[in-house]
Amino acid sequence: MLLEAIDVTKTFGALTVVNEVSVSIEKGDILGLIGPNGAGKSTFFNCLTGDLMPTSGRVILNGEDVSMMTPEQRAVRGLARSFQVPQTFETMSVLENVMIGAFLRTSDPAKARRRAYEVLDLVGLADVASAVAGSLGTPGRKRLEIARALATDPEILLLDEAMAGLTATEVRHAIELVRKIHQTGMTLVIVEHIMEVIISLAQQVIVFHQGHQIAHGTPQEVTRDPAVVTAYLGKRAAATAARGFAGDQS
Amino acid sequence: MSMSLLQVLIGGLLLGAVYALFSSGLTLIWGMMNVVNFAHGDFVMIAMYVAFMVWKLLGGGPFMAMPVAAMMLATLGIIVYFSLVRHVMKGPMLAQILGTFGLALLLRYGIFWTFGANFQSLPENLVGGTYDLWGIRIQASRLLAGSLAIVLTIALHLMLTRTSLGSKMLAVAEDSTAAELMGIRPDRMQAIAWGLAAGLTGIAGALIATFFYISPTVGETLAIIAFVTVSLGGFGSITGALVAGLLIGVIESLSGYLIGAVYKDIVVYTIFIAVLWFRPQGLMGKN
Amino acid sequence: MKRSVWLLLILALVVIYPLVFTTPFLQRLGALVLLYAIAASAWNIVGGYAGQVSVGHVVFFGCGAYASMAFFTHFGWPPIAAVPVGMMASVGIAALIGVPTLRLSGHYFSMATIAVAELARLIVTNVEALGAAVGLSGPVIPRTVFDLSFTSALPYYYLFLAVLLGVLGLTYWMENSRIGFYLRAIKDNERAARSLGVQAGRYKLYAYMISAGLTSIAGTLYATMYGFVDPESGLGILTSVKILIMAALGGAGLLFGPLVGAAILVPLEEVSNNLLGGKGAGLTFVVYGAIIMIIARFYPSGLLKLLLDRLAAAKPAPSDKKVRDVA
Repeated sequence: MLLEAIDVTKTFGALTVVNEVSVSIEKGDILGLIGPNGAGKSTFFNCLTGDLMPTSGRVILNGEDVSMMTPEQRAVRGLARSFQVPQTFETMSVLENVMIGAFLRTSDPAKARRRAYEVLDLVGLADVASAVAGSLGTPGRKRLEIARALATDPEILLLDEAMAGLTATEVRHAIELVRKIHQTGMTLVIVEHIMEVIISLAQQVIVFHQGHQIAHGTPQEVTRDPAVVTAYLGKRAAATAARGFAGDQS
Repeated sequence: MSMSLLQVLIGGLLLGAVYALFSSGLTLIWGMMNVVNFAHGDFVMIAMYVAFMVWKLLGGGPFMAMPVAAMMLATLGIIVYFSLVRHVMKGPMLAQILGTFGLALLLRYGIFWTFGANFQSLPENLVGGTYDLWGIRIQASRLLAGSLAIVLTIALHLMLTRTSLGSKMLAVAEDSTAAELMGIRPDRMQAIAWGLAAGLTGIAGALIATFFYISPTVGETLAIIAFVTVSLGGFGSITGALVAGLLIGVIESLSGYLIGAVYKDIVVYTIFIAVLWFRPQGLMGKN
Repeated sequence: MKRSVWLLLILALVVIYPLVFTTPFLQRLGALVLLYAIAASAWNIVGGYAGQVSVGHVVFFGCGAYASMAFFTHFGWPPIAAVPVGMMASVGIAALIGVPTLRLSGHYFSMATIAVAELARLIVTNVEALGAAVGLSGPVIPRTVFDLSFTSALPYYYLFLAVLLGVLGLTYWMENSRIGFYLRAIKDNERAARSLGVQAGRYKLYAYMISAGLTSIAGTLYATMYGFVDPESGLGILTSVKILIMAALGGAGLLFGPLVGAAILVPLEEVSNNLLGGKGAGLTFVVYGAIIMIIARFYPSGLLKLLLDRLAAAKPAPSDKKVRDVA
């Protein structure tokens, strides 16, 4: 088991935002986390990445308890993430951005540069390598973030709403990229709003609602689950779902 | 407890209250906009000179000097906010720190150039004489300063927590974007905070001038005392600044009494370093 | 390439400067510019590259100056021999300040640097062995050339130039190695850097410690040239101010920024001191204060950056492909 969350709970004062959520992720899995806004999925995600420490419960990476470890410490141990609002190094070039990631595994600038080029090739940004990160549009920045995280040579990549703000075409390209990354053997955890993305990519899905995990299964199972439909769309839609439906819905 | 020790303690508390008064402005600004005013000590110094001039030109004592100094410093604070702070707040740390640091130099050497390096002082009997309460001698000036300082610091705390203006300011401190969405203007609140903090240094300076020497360089020591007080008290906490200020005042007095006047600054600065090492969130802060 | 031609040209000019301008005043002025350029370049490593604003940097300067004068006064050593001791003391103090504060917000660090510098000054003023308020002196009559006690400013000029080149070389190497990249990333977006495994606190501390050690060398050199140090010259806040303003005016975070700043401000101060006399010293610092505020408000990147940006804008637009939105 690569990454495991055991009864992770996060409270802020009297407010419980994440309530005893557990999941196991095997190498090569793609796990999707979905749920309405405020459902707790981002908070749970941040407990996995180290931006937040769980109030109780544990996060285990490759058998090691990383619950109280900082993001830097988790990065060294093979956990990488992208941010919902891209946090690229605006004043540095695309290549240099990725080099920062590569420097985790080597102190030699030449090696870091080579590794950075490899990753830029993979994500399709090689021809803008010398452009300043601040000059890219949002899709470019998101792609750069992913490249930068990949350069740290992670075992598991956590993507925080990587598709938010993209057009339909851009989303399709992004899905292709994620698949490509997955094919290199990467394990992925994806937080998403867009159903299409989750259904195309995820093998297992956890649905969050008010801090609880209300469904856990394949995308198909989860989208038909009445509890899920209720949470998202209300009781009337759940009744419709009970009568059966097929296909996309957002 | 011996009388002289008690006297030292009380003297320390009174002085500490004044430390709390001017430090509370610093912690307010820090809490509201994450800016540390490196010129804060020099604001107090300017107020001391204002008090001196009020006496020299108008013959007035602290009750005339306090409002004058408070108004002048408050105006200075607001001008500084609009012309400098508002811009550098959004920029790199270098610009932020250099901004108020440069102001400190400007004020300090402006005064040095105008008045010279010599110490000035207000006449000793400007505020009554020395009281003798059950064997403890307290200067009237220090008694006035200390009691007024405590009252004003508590008043500041109450203003922030009980009035609508105060809650608007706290809202901006908490989350300026959210506050803006609620119809509060962060800009205006921050300017008021600067004016208020500076005004308080005005009052503090006018009070200190009644019992302490006045020179261009006092700002530097006072700035460090303010830093120690806000660090010990906790970022953004007025009550923390009050407790810390009193504590620092007492420790400083005791050190002067027990080890020697020369060493009291050394003790205070060493406490600062200890706070940074062992409890940077301060007594009441929650970093 | 064009850039290295320019640099070689400037280096050549700097090298022949004291041979062309042979009056003692101008030679000494040149030596002072180089000395302050060393200190400002050292500050630049932590203040410019790492973005941590030290306003108490004089404490490291003082370590170097006092170590050298103390070692001569108490053991008869040539002052320069105390360089390692000054450096070790500086690095130790940097750790004392940096370890707790560099993981907190930048304000704590800056406040701590002032407090420690003032603390050092107060302590030294009260320690007889370090000269108390009077200070310590170096060799009055040089015993060997290693005492570095010259009557002419010329040897100092070249000594300082050699050290400056060393400091700039070290900075350049650092710029292009992992620590340099990491510092830029931390300055740009610390949260993102940490998500990539960068231990921000540690790298800022390294930068601070390196900066401290190099500043200490400047302090020792200062003491050898003046043959004297006291709490005001060796540990006073004005030296912190000068170092900082030279780096910031010229361009914090740029390799040659501090040199530009020193080349402007050192002659300026000499001129204003000569023109205005004693009380004029106050006016000089009023002007410094105003300059610092103007830099902070309008040109935080410094004059050199301003110049480089103007030059870049004047060049024709590069012909390589436009950055297109990549999906």
